[in-house]
Amino acid sequence: MNNVQPSPFVIAEAGKCIGCKACELACFAVHNDHNGVVAAVGTVTVPVIPRLHVIRTESFTLPVQCRQCENAPCAEACPVQAIRREEGTIVIHEESCIGCKGCAMACPFGAISLYKAYSNGKVVPQIQLKERQHSAMVRSAKVIAYKCDLCRTRDHKDGAMGNVPACVEVCPVEALSLVHPDTSVSRSRTAAAMRL
Amino acid sequence: MSYKDPIIHIDEQLCTGCRRCAAVCPVDAIIGEPGHPQTIDAHRCVVCGQCVQICTAYAADNESTTALRAVKLQERGQLPNVREPLFAAYSSGDIQKVKAVLADPKRFKVVQCAPAIRVSLAEEFGLPFGTLTPGKMAAALRRLKFDRIYDTNFAADVTIMEEGSELIGRVMSGERLPMFTSCCPAWVKHAETVAPELLEHLSSCKSPMQMAGALFKTYGAELDGIAPSDIFSVAVMPCTCKKFECSREEMSVNGCREVDVVITTRELASLIKDQGIDFIHLPDEPFDSPLGKYSGAGSIFGVTGGVMEAAIRTGYELITHEQIPNLQLDFVRGEEGIRTAEVQIGELELKVAVVAGLKYVDAVLAKVAEGTCPYHFIEVMACPEGCVSGGGQPKLLLETQRKIAYQARKSAVYRHDSHQKVRKSHENPDIIKLYKDFLGEPLGHTSHHLLHTKFVDRSLKEEMS
Repeated sequence: MNNVQPSPFVIAEAGKCIGCKACELACFAVHNDHNGVVAAVGTVTVPVIPRLHVIRTESFTLPVQCRQCENAPCAEACPVQAIRREEGTIVIHEESCIGCKGCAMACPFGAISLYKAYSNGKVVPQIQLKERQHSAMVRSAKVIAYKCDLCRTRDHKDGAMGNVPACVEVCPVEALSLVHPDTSVSRSRTAAAMRL
Repeated sequence: MSYKDPIIHIDEQLCTGCRRCAAVCPVDAIIGEPGHPQTIDAHRCVVCGQCVQICTAYAADNESTTALRAVKLQERGQLPNVREPLFAAYSSGDIQKVKAVLADPKRFKVVQCAPAIRVSLAEEFGLPFGTLTPGKMAAALRRLKFDRIYDTNFAADVTIMEEGSELIGRVMSGERLPMFTSCCPAWVKHAETVAPELLEHLSSCKSPMQMAGALFKTYGAELDGIAPSDIFSVAVMPCTCKKFECSREEMSVNGCREVDVVITTRELASLIKDQGIDFIHLPDEPFDSPLGKYSGAGSIFGVTGGVMEAAIRTGYELITHEQIPNLQLDFVRGEEGIRTAEVQIGELELKVAVVAGLKYVDAVLAKVAEGTCPYHFIEVMACPEGCVSGGGQPKLLLETQRKIAYQARKSAVYRHDSHQKVRKSHENPDIIKLYKDFLGEPLGHTSHHLLHTKFVDRSLKEEMS
């Protein structure tokens, strides 16, 4: 057997998206337990860092996120092997990330962004690197790459519907869906055969 | 304080035009094209703040917007060190003013908290939905340097005495029925806007918040030997429309504003954080007496059906002079938009209705206008589950948690009631004392002067024609 089990990924329909950014907010909410973020907006003490981004053009809005590429150009570009495939998901190990931007440049979808790293609601400082701020040398903030991990570490206790990523679950117009390419392909193959 | 300010705003720089706010608005006050920033029709808007709760369009935070964030926080009346994201839909804040007065030792600062604050405030500090913290809330307010920690729940008990007596009088005389509750300012503003000809059907009672304010600057001032003009009266409310209500011209007593400033649950949380108070580890402390002692009936005003249940507990006993057989009135509890019931009270079969969510009320108003509405008493709350779901309550990051959050807040309200020793307003010893020492009797001269009000026709000419 030489065929593969392709990874699932989240994709959105531009025709449905209303640009509300609920997906961005939900994504942030479920990835920030370690920053004290719970249910209420009032528990947020760090900037909202989403792992998918709603883009706007003249004619449509659309969230863009990782396609979990089978050949993961981001992983190929990573010089420190911080990006790995785990249980069918391409995952960035943030503690290993050196912020080199190689993955962000390699990604054909712009699904990877660099932001400051936060822990316990505070910016994680560099160990050595410093920069001048108001005539004093201070340690710079550590910067790392963030991208969609299909909510793989999410706690699904509270009202969550199975293992659907948070963005899919909260979208008020069902513009987002979790696609399983293997079943989708076989379904379209069958549908095409029926039409013949 | 005067509110020329419409209180509810949509920031056109942040609004993406998704129109989820328009879908949740019960009075169609949000105007605009999809994909473009929305505006609010201030005339129609009932200031309920449901749009503030649902909005997810937030300002992305990066270096280039840091200065802009400070400007926006100032414009919105929030404290400068607020960390949470800024959303397109927001309500005007009043916390800066409260903070300034709290630092002034010459002012006598009195605070009241609505029933629904103690079941939701903890969420702002990361505690689970439905965590009940009346004691920590009182302790936090004391550390914020309020001189008296009073309670809207006490005034909710007063409301039952007044409104219950008013209902009995109207039912006996058959006049101006059905009688609507008048606790919810968003409902009152809506009635004034769309049905001014039916305003005589509203109870003449002020809301518990305004009753409390009036009592603080009369009865409370006397007890403390303080000049009413020296009292600064703050109300913590789950509701954005309470800011509108406190600014109504008629809401004054002997020349003083009854409530000087209203802040929301979220604003109180931001002040507690600003002052570095460790809310989670505060001890439980009591409210001050007598204007902070309440019954279980007073505490259930925070949920849909609560005013009705509290009124029936007292009304039953005032009419029959017998103990009500069951204190938990499940027939008015629930979440449907309209619930109706018939309650046998002695000879009287009282027909009641509970309306939760303002979008359900217009059909009821139409029936009243045509004279076919069969009920004696109708409770109306503008928000979907009553005050626990108010526009000033903690805002949720995930829409999918809304139902669980509201259920847990409601359960906490009922739990709080069931744990009170006194569960009927007319049995609250401090209410009995208030009437004995100060008010005389419900609907008496002093009550009429302090606790009752008139409503205003707010219809536009074109809407009337």
